[in-house]
Amino acid sequence: MDIFWFLTFAVLLAGYFALEGFDIGLGVLLPVLGRSPAARDRLVGAMAPFVLANEVWLVALAGVLFGAFPVLEGQALSRLYPLVVALLLAWIVRDAGLWFRRRSGGAAWRLVWDGALCAGSAGLALSWGAILVAVARGLPASPLDAAGIAGGVALLALLAWHGRTFAAWRLQDGPGRSGRALLLSACAAAAPAVLVMAAAAAHMLGNAAPDQTLTVLSVMVVPVAPILVGAQVWVWRTFSRGALPTFF
Amino acid sequence: MDIVGLARLQFAVTGSLHFLFVVLTLGLAPLVAIMHTRYAIGGNPLHERMTRFWGQIYVINYALGVVTGLVMEFQFGLSWSGLSHYAGDVFGAPLAMETLLAFFLESTFLGLWIFGWHRLPRGLHVACIWLVTLTAYASALFIMVANSFLQNPAGSAEMGGRLVLRDFGALFTNPTLVFALPHVLSAGLWTGGFVVMGASAYHLFRRTPEREFFTRSLRIGVLTAFIGSLFTVGFGYAQFGPVGSVQPDKFHGVIPGTALGLMITIGQLVQFAVMFVLAPLLIRDLLARWRWLHPLLMVMTPLPFVAAIAGWIVREVGRQPWLVYGKLSVADALTPGLTRADITASFAGFAGVLGLLALVDYVLIARAVRRGPGQVALGAADLPVTAEPVPAHSL
Repeated sequence: MDIFWFLTFAVLLAGYFALEGFDIGLGVLLPVLGRSPAARDRLVGAMAPFVLANEVWLVALAGVLFGAFPVLEGQALSRLYPLVVALLLAWIVRDAGLWFRRRSGGAAWRLVWDGALCAGSAGLALSWGAILVAVARGLPASPLDAAGIAGGVALLALLAWHGRTFAAWRLQDGPGRSGRALLLSACAAAAPAVLVMAAAAAHMLGNAAPDQTLTVLSVMVVPVAPILVGAQVWVWRTFSRGALPTFF
Repeated sequence: MDIVGLARLQFAVTGSLHFLFVVLTLGLAPLVAIMHTRYAIGGNPLHERMTRFWGQIYVINYALGVVTGLVMEFQFGLSWSGLSHYAGDVFGAPLAMETLLAFFLESTFLGLWIFGWHRLPRGLHVACIWLVTLTAYASALFIMVANSFLQNPAGSAEMGGRLVLRDFGALFTNPTLVFALPHVLSAGLWTGGFVVMGASAYHLFRRTPEREFFTRSLRIGVLTAFIGSLFTVGFGYAQFGPVGSVQPDKFHGVIPGTALGLMITIGQLVQFAVMFVLAPLLIRDLLARWRWLHPLLMVMTPLPFVAAIAGWIVREVGRQPWLVYGKLSVADALTPGLTRADITASFAGFAGVLGLLALVDYVLIARAVRRGPGQVALGAADLPVTAEPVPAHSL
C-alpha cells in the first residue's frame, strides 16, 4: 500500500514537471518569444487552456504528501521553509499575471502583468531547482547555497526549452514543432524530479502513514482516478489544435 | 507578539482572505450553472448574456480563491508541522481527498468551461460548469470535515503519542460538522445572491440600457439571498446544541463572544429584511422600480462577507488554546525551530502580496460590474492560430 502511494506521489511530481513545466518555461520566455503585445497574446493563448489543469498537479501532490506521508510533509516543508515561501509567492505572482493581464485595456497594465507572469515563472523554476537539489542532498540545514542556485538556473534553462518546444508545437511555428519533440522535452523536464524521487524512495517508504489511513485513501480515491485521467485527456483533446482562446 | 502569535495571525489573515473569495465562489457557481442550463435548453440570448456576465464575475473572483488557497494548503507544513506529526494520519486524509477528488477536478473542469466557448458542444459545456459546482461543494465538504476534526477529534484514538484513524465514517458524522457544513454552503448562496442583487441595483439606479437584464438578475439575487439567509440562520442556531456539548466554553472569550454577537446581529436583521421587505417587493417588480431603495441594496452587499468572517472568528478563536481540541495545543503544534525572522518575512510576503492582489481583484470585479453585459471577455472571439500579417490602416 505504501508503495502504491509512493508511486502516485512520484507520478504526480513527474507529471507536474512534464505539464506545468512548459507553462513555466513559456512564461520565462514571454519577453523573448513575444516582442509585441499581440505576439505575447498568442503565446499566452497557446498555454492558457492548459494552465489550470497543469498547476493543479502540484496541489494534488501536496495533498498526497499530507495524506499519505504526513510526517514528511511537516519535515520537508519546514526544513525548506524559505524555498517553499519563495515558490508560493512566485506561483501567486505568476497566476495573478495570467488572470489579470487582459482584465483591463491599458498598455501599461498589460506590461505590468506580463512582467508578473515572466518574473513569477522564473521564480517558480529557480525555487523548484533549489528544492530538488535540497531534497536530493537530504534536506541540508541551509538549502540556499551555490549548489541550490546552480540547480535553479539549470532547471530554468530546461523548462525554458520545454516551453519553447510547446509553443512551436501548439502554434505550428518555428523549429522542433513535432509532437515527438514535445514528448522528448516533457520527458527531459520530468527527469530531474524522477531522479530525486528515486533517491528519496527509501526514506519516503519508511515514513508512510499507517495502513489504516492508506486503505481509506485508496478506497476513496482509486474509483475516481479514471475521472481525473479522463478530465485531463479531455483538456488535451479540446485545446491541442485550432484557434487560440483569449480569456487569459 | 511572540512567534506563535505571529504564526496564528498569518493563518488568520490568509484564511480570512481565502474565505472572502471562497464564499462568493460557492454562491455564484450554482447560479451561473442554472443560467447556463436555461440558455442551453431554451436558447434565449438573454440567458447567454447572463451566463457570460455573471460567469465573468465568478471567474475573476475565483482567481483570488485559488492563490489564497495555495498558501492555506502549504501553511500547515510550514508553520504547524506539529499538527502533521501528531494528527496527520487522520487530518491528512480529508485534505488529500479535497485535493484529489475535488480541487483537481474543479480546476480542470473550470479550465474547460472558461476556454471551451465556441469549442465544446453546448450540453458538454453546461456539464462542465455543473461539475465545477459539484466539486466546489465537495471541496467545502472535505475542508469542513478536516476543520471539524480539529474542533472535535472524532473517529481517532491516541496511540504512542500520535492520533490514529479508528473510524473514517465518524469524521463525516462529527457533530461539529453536520450543521456547520449547510451553514457555510447557505452563507455562500446568501453572499452570491447579495452580490447579484447589489450589482443589479447599481445598474437599475444608474438607469443603464440593460433594464430587463438587471430586473431579472435582481429577482434571482433576492430569491437566492432569501433561501440562503433562511438556511444560514437556521443552521446557525442549530449549532448551539452540538457545539455546547463538545466545546462548552466556546463563546466565553471576549473575541469569540463579540464576533458571535456581530454575526447574529447582521444575520438576523438582514435575514428579516430579505424575508419581510425585499422578497415581497419582488411582486410586480416593485423593488426594481423603486429607485430610491437601490443605494440601500448596494450598501447591504458587503454584509454577508462581514458576517462570514465573524463566523470563522467565532469558530477558530473559540477553540483556543487548542489546535486539536483537548489534545494538541496551538503552541505545541508550532514548527520546531521556526524563527521570528522566518515567520515575519513570510507573513509580510503573503499578507502583502495577497492583500494587494485582493484589492486589485475587487477593483476588477467592480469594473466588470460597471462595464455591464455589453463588454464581457468570457466567451469572446478566438485568435487565429497563425500570426496574422499586420493589416494596413484603412479608413
